[in-house]
Amino acid sequence: MTTAFTTVGTPVARAEGPDKVSGQTLYTADVDLPGMLWGKVLRSPFPHARIVNIDVSRAQEAPGVRAALTGRDIPPALVGRLLRDCPVLARDRVRFVGEKVAAVAADNPEAAQEALLLIDVEYEELPAVFDASEAMQASAPSLHPDIESYVGLPQPPSPMNNVFAHNRWGKGEVEQGFRESDRVFEHTFSAQLMHQGYIEPHACVVRVDDSGRVEMWVNNKAPFNLRSQLSAVWDIPENRITLHPISIGGDFGGKGSFMDTPLCYYLAIHSGRPVKMVMDYLQELMAANPRHPADIALKTGVKNDGTLLAREASVVFNSGAYGAFKPRVYLGGADHLGGAYQVPHVSIDSYMVYTNNVPCGHMRAPAKPQVHFAVESHMDMIAAELGLDPYEFRLRNVIRQGDETPTGGSWEEVRAEETIRRAAQASGWGQPKDRPNAGRGMAISDQPPGAGQSEASVAIDAEGKVEIRMALWDTGTGAHTMLRQVVAEELTVPVDDVRFTVQNTDAVAFDSGSGGSRVTYTAGQTALGAARDLKAKLVQQAAGLYETEKEYVTLQGGTFVIEGTPAQTVPITEVTARVISEPGNAIIGEMTYSATNSPVTSYCTQVAEVEVDPETGQVRVEKIVTVHDVGAIINPMTHQGQIEGGVIQGMGYALMEELVAEEGRISNLTLGDYKIPTMPDIPKLETVLLEPSTGPAPFQSKGIGESSNVPVAGAIANAVYDAVGARVTSLPITPEKVLRAIRERESNKP
Amino acid sequence: MKRHLNLTVNSEPRQILVEPYYSLLDMLRDELHLTGTKKGCDEGDCGACTVLLNGVPVTSCLVLAHSAHDAEVTTVEGLATREGLHPVQQAFAEYGGLQCGFCTPGLIMSAVGLLEKNFDPTEEEVRYAIGGNLCRCTGYTKVVQAIMAAAEQARP
Ligand code: FES
Ligand code: FES
Repeated sequence: MTTAFTTVGTPVARAEGPDKVSGQTLYTADVDLPGMLWGKVLRSPFPHARIVNIDVSRAQEAPGVRAALTGRDIPPALVGRLLRDCPVLARDRVRFVGEKVAAVAADNPEAAQEALLLIDVEYEELPAVFDASEAMQASAPSLHPDIESYVGLPQPPSPMNNVFAHNRWGKGEVEQGFRESDRVFEHTFSAQLMHQGYIEPHACVVRVDDSGRVEMWVNNKAPFNLRSQLSAVWDIPENRITLHPISIGGDFGGKGSFMDTPLCYYLAIHSGRPVKMVMDYLQELMAANPRHPADIALKTGVKNDGTLLAREASVVFNSGAYGAFKPRVYLGGADHLGGAYQVPHVSIDSYMVYTNNVPCGHMRAPAKPQVHFAVESHMDMIAAELGLDPYEFRLRNVIRQGDETPTGGSWEEVRAEETIRRAAQASGWGQPKDRPNAGRGMAISDQPPGAGQSEASVAIDAEGKVEIRMALWDTGTGAHTMLRQVVAEELTVPVDDVRFTVQNTDAVAFDSGSGGSRVTYTAGQTALGAARDLKAKLVQQAAGLYETEKEYVTLQGGTFVIEGTPAQTVPITEVTARVISEPGNAIIGEMTYSATNSPVTSYCTQVAEVEVDPETGQVRVEKIVTVHDVGAIINPMTHQGQIEGGVIQGMGYALMEELVAEEGRISNLTLGDYKIPTMPDIPKLETVLLEPSTGPAPFQSKGIGESSNVPVAGAIANAVYDAVGARVTSLPITPEKVLRAIRERESNKP
Repeated sequence: MKRHLNLTVNSEPRQILVEPYYSLLDMLRDELHLTGTKKGCDEGDCGACTVLLNGVPVTSCLVLAHSAHDAEVTTVEGLATREGLHPVQQAFAEYGGLQCGFCTPGLIMSAVGLLEKNFDPTEEEVRYAIGGNLCRCTGYTKVVQAIMAAAEQARP
């Protein structure tokens, strides 16, 4: 049965579009309060050092300076999204280049910047460790000897040096699996440090009134979580802190952290003024919360016919100096090291390791781009050894309906195989290429819609205008428009009659915010529930007005149909006009909702087509086919926007983006040196969406935010191999690495 | 020391006092409170700060405010008329040429700059014109579609 939707499934232009194109939308750096000061921070030039002395007295006396702080001037509490291991300002010790050691607030940014030059810090350098595997050795300096005393450690730390989380997943008996295998393959991979690359840097504005109430504007996509982190570190109740809604200039996982907010509050307290802090892009690239580098080892046992029997995998994440920048201590995507395959024996180990590098955080599908690059490259390397076509090899092993996942779970409606078949079809897999040094590569991954918690009210006024009220910030995905469509569909009213109002954190108890491909599901069901509640109330009112029972009233096309002889039709507006007597009043539906884990996931298979210049090693991506196992699609335009943006981020990850660190010092600190894809880099993109299946989100939809950025790197790596026989096992796939791999291949020739 | 600066911003003559080291971007945002123009990198790499200086797109973070003396500056706030949004603005909103919107004012100014001297651009010319504008959200496809649609519409 197909349900005919009116609003769901149409490419409604986003409501905030007109404000965004005319420069009216307010972002954090645009907030301007009376008497506001500018805060700036001084950062450590050393990766690991003891702070012998800091003197801010000269800065304090500089013109325009209203406050100058060191770690000694503020309470010693540590901050973190879960694991609280990060100082607001370093006290005795700095652990990475870029760590905050002092801060000033001044009348204008120039005065603040000048004052930083007047701060004297005496350091005593300490031995540092940068490589995660080295950090795990007993001989390495222990960066957090007091880890046992930290709040928020969900499990006892590992006995291994500097390992603050060791997680295991798996099933079966991996040793037995290897014994039963005909061949066993081992490969290692590595993935780089990457910045999320949002164009809007982190910023915050904090105002504290005389009674100690805190108001803030901050480009954070999970404001309720932030409020609770701040309440803990400042030691004030959550209900004394209000975060005001603000538009966020790009997130991609990077805007979930507290960043400068804990410090900005102390500058406001000490200066008695509101304070604004905006990171410049140099600081963004040096000291924000980039994607984790990873070292991955895979060992796989197969039968001669290509059937996978066993997978032993380990991933070491170089987490940098602190674990504070992630909402869990580990990265959930590490459990995907079995891939989208049927493997009977699996053992996965993940290690989160402290080093003297910038602390890492979340980025779009945390851990999965690293993991699937490794897994999908490994699959092709095995296929090459066995003389199998990578497509056939995947088809033989791909997870199917009823199969257990590599970690012993299960999904309903598994459509992994269809995505592989459709990707092969759309990309002309197996057909001759139209030019030399061209190659195709395939990769698959999956991303379920994430669960979370949300609260919504939906109000209708006398004129029949509908308002959705939620404390859900706009990160740019088009969530508000998607929610307007969901509510319009349920209430059978035109989407233009539904507006979205973003509430502050006082208005509701909690909202998980954006992230984890959760908004369509979690916020969607919440808004839908509130719309249903409102609809029930309206039906009740209509029944009362027309002296019938609610069972005889239905809502269709914006009109109540009241059964009887003859049946009557009454527009919604007639009921609202009669029932709502006072102007400004409304009938309100409400919903508080906590989503459970989705029973379905969403597979994505991609085929990249590349051309490699064997002289220079330059890889040019000609085309990417991206196939998605979708549910119903609420807004095809914003849905497609997520796919396109994600693929291009994945391409940047595969080929060009790397924060290059030497001894913990990042050298490419401008967007001119840290290259992200620009218009000339963009390949042809072909999107294939499978027939909509079922999903846990409204009207059988699913999430789409993360999936398209995951398989890209694996697909491109495999395409490079297909093109010139060069296997690059570390990201990004730079021309130098391709050339090296070509030379290796040639020198291995008999 | 602040010095006098005369210029026209969005068709309005302005006389203001500005520090000699101020960039055009900081002058627009902090002195004139025209915050529609965005600061991404402040180093000429992202294009978020693009405005028209005498009709030509420039990255305003790299231009000293005082070098715009007697010049005409158009920012994203100056595009709409009484009749409504500029066709380029309209097309960005309609075709999904924006997501977070942070790069959008800059992209729109680059596109407007192009269409003012070439109202029948090829897709290649559009791609070239926005080659200096970074957008992390959209992957650029819909941006190009929007600009092509705007050109189509604006064509006499
Ligand atoms: S802010 Fe001017 S180019 Fe980035
Ligand atoms: S729309 Fe977000 S950076 Fe372009």
